[in-house]
Amino acid sequence: MADNIRINWGKLLSRVLLYFVVALICLFILYPYFVMACTALKSRSEIFAINGTIFPINVMWSNFIDIWQKAPMARYMLNSIVIAAGSTAIAMVCGIPAAYALARMKFKGQTAFLGFIIVSQMFAPVVLLIGIYKVMQMFGLTNSLLGLIFINAAFNQAFTIWLLRGTFMSISAEMEQAATIDGCNRIQAMFKVLLPVAAPGIVTTLIFIFINAWNEYTVALCLISTDTLKPLTVGINIFNGYNMIEWQYLFAASIFAIIPVVILFMSIEKNLTSGLTAGGVKG
Amino acid sequence: MKRKKPYTLLNKVEPYLWILPSIILMAIFIIVPIGFVFRMAFSQVTKAGLVKGFCGFDNFSKVLKSAKFGLVLKNTIIWTILVVGLSTVLGFILALLLNNEFKGRKIARAIVVFPWATTLVIQASVWKFIIDTDYGALNTLLKTLGIIERNVNWTPAPEAFFAWEIACGIFVTIPFVCFTALSGLQSIDASYYEAATVDGANYWQKLGHITLPLVKPSLTVATVLNIIYVFNSFPIVWTITKGDPASRTDTLVTYLYKLAFYNGKQGEAAAVSVIGFLILLVCASIYMVSTLKKGDE
Repeated sequence: MADNIRINWGKLLSRVLLYFVVALICLFILYPYFVMACTALKSRSEIFAINGTIFPINVMWSNFIDIWQKAPMARYMLNSIVIAAGSTAIAMVCGIPAAYALARMKFKGQTAFLGFIIVSQMFAPVVLLIGIYKVMQMFGLTNSLLGLIFINAAFNQAFTIWLLRGTFMSISAEMEQAATIDGCNRIQAMFKVLLPVAAPGIVTTLIFIFINAWNEYTVALCLISTDTLKPLTVGINIFNGYNMIEWQYLFAASIFAIIPVVILFMSIEKNLTSGLTAGGVKG
Repeated sequence: MKRKKPYTLLNKVEPYLWILPSIILMAIFIIVPIGFVFRMAFSQVTKAGLVKGFCGFDNFSKVLKSAKFGLVLKNTIIWTILVVGLSTVLGFILALLLNNEFKGRKIARAIVVFPWATTLVIQASVWKFIIDTDYGALNTLLKTLGIIERNVNWTPAPEAFFAWEIACGIFVTIPFVCFTALSGLQSIDASYYEAATVDGANYWQKLGHITLPLVKPSLTVATVLNIIYVFNSFPIVWTITKGDPASRTDTLVTYLYKLAFYNGKQGEAAAVSVIGFLILLVCASIYMVSTLKKGDE
């Protein structure tokens, strides 16, 4: 009896401790977002006041309206959508057949191709910026959305193929073989049989690339010089001038840039992580 | 026979047709830039970016001789080791916590997604605002709570700025480690733990003998990817300090960005790129060799 009670106390304590630590970590993670939201609702004078407050005293909802007039926010947002959607489309159109070949066929150079995909991960676009800039000059794509779309699609190929190959390999080839016997060719079998079954994995990959392209900053910073062609990540820095930073506008605009991706990311988080590690462990 | 031959030829070529679009895309936008970078690293390049001809290792010797480069390299190594090391440890601990069944676990997981999904520029801007001496949110918070009376200067020296940048790097990297570790943890069969409990193993024994060995593959993948990403990470340092003052907070990528696009020294910048790539290649080959060895055992 006494023993029982002691064990329960220990369990209770570890339980309370668990909740406490997790809550603390969550608060810590949310803190920057809390700061962002509070600051976005303050007036400029309140932000720079000597005795500042945590919460805004006069809640300035107008900041969220002002940014659309002070900067071409709608343009930035449209550019981000175009870049992210375009990159995703190209990455998938090129990546699906490649992942299919790697999962379903045997050919010479297969290992070399997989090896190259892994090595290509080692080159972040930043390191290659000078080279990328030259290529863009060659095609006349500097300062264009199309250039950014291609770069994002190319640098996301590794992930696309990696994730999709894992998805395709986890699906038995029998159904497709049956479809081929019924008179389908390979492409029909892929579209009619494999892709519908692989839909969850495909959607995960799709959203992941979309988010990556949406969040990309460095290449856009380097390639785009016209204000109306900038994506959100680069454009919002219009409020981050050398002489003065309009924090309230910067953060109000940031919130618009964050919300869509955070929601998208939450929807794929579980599939994504298992896909990433599975692809890596199985190699 | 005659009818069979084109059929097998098509069969042989077919896989390459499937991977062709992907290869073209990567060839133009990854391999060609790599070629340009290597060519520029060994060429004289004018300020306008015109390649003027082979110059051997001139660019490399210029880079290696400059007083700043040693400092930048040291910063990059400190940055990579601290961010990857600490975020791996903290991310794993967080994964262990989230692997417990408790109410609100879904909410906790959703919250941990935030830093992973948010673009780095924005996260870096917020941290820049938080640590500001005059109006920063951290000082405001601590003053309101009564912990401090006057504003504290959180960044008295460039090294302090760099430390904050590392902290920000850790903060944004933890979720990735956490979720990869978590997916590893959740694939562990509960029967292992039950058997260990029957044998009288305590929590730490289970952690050391069951959990760690089984999560290791997921953690290794996460660590290798992290080393590459963190080593090449640009937005955090760029947003908070731009590598200033005098390169004391520069890492290789911010340094080469300034060389190429601010100082018109594209040849030297390309040399820095090549050096960075070689360092990563050495790291990656150590990883590959060690995994291959394990495969042999």
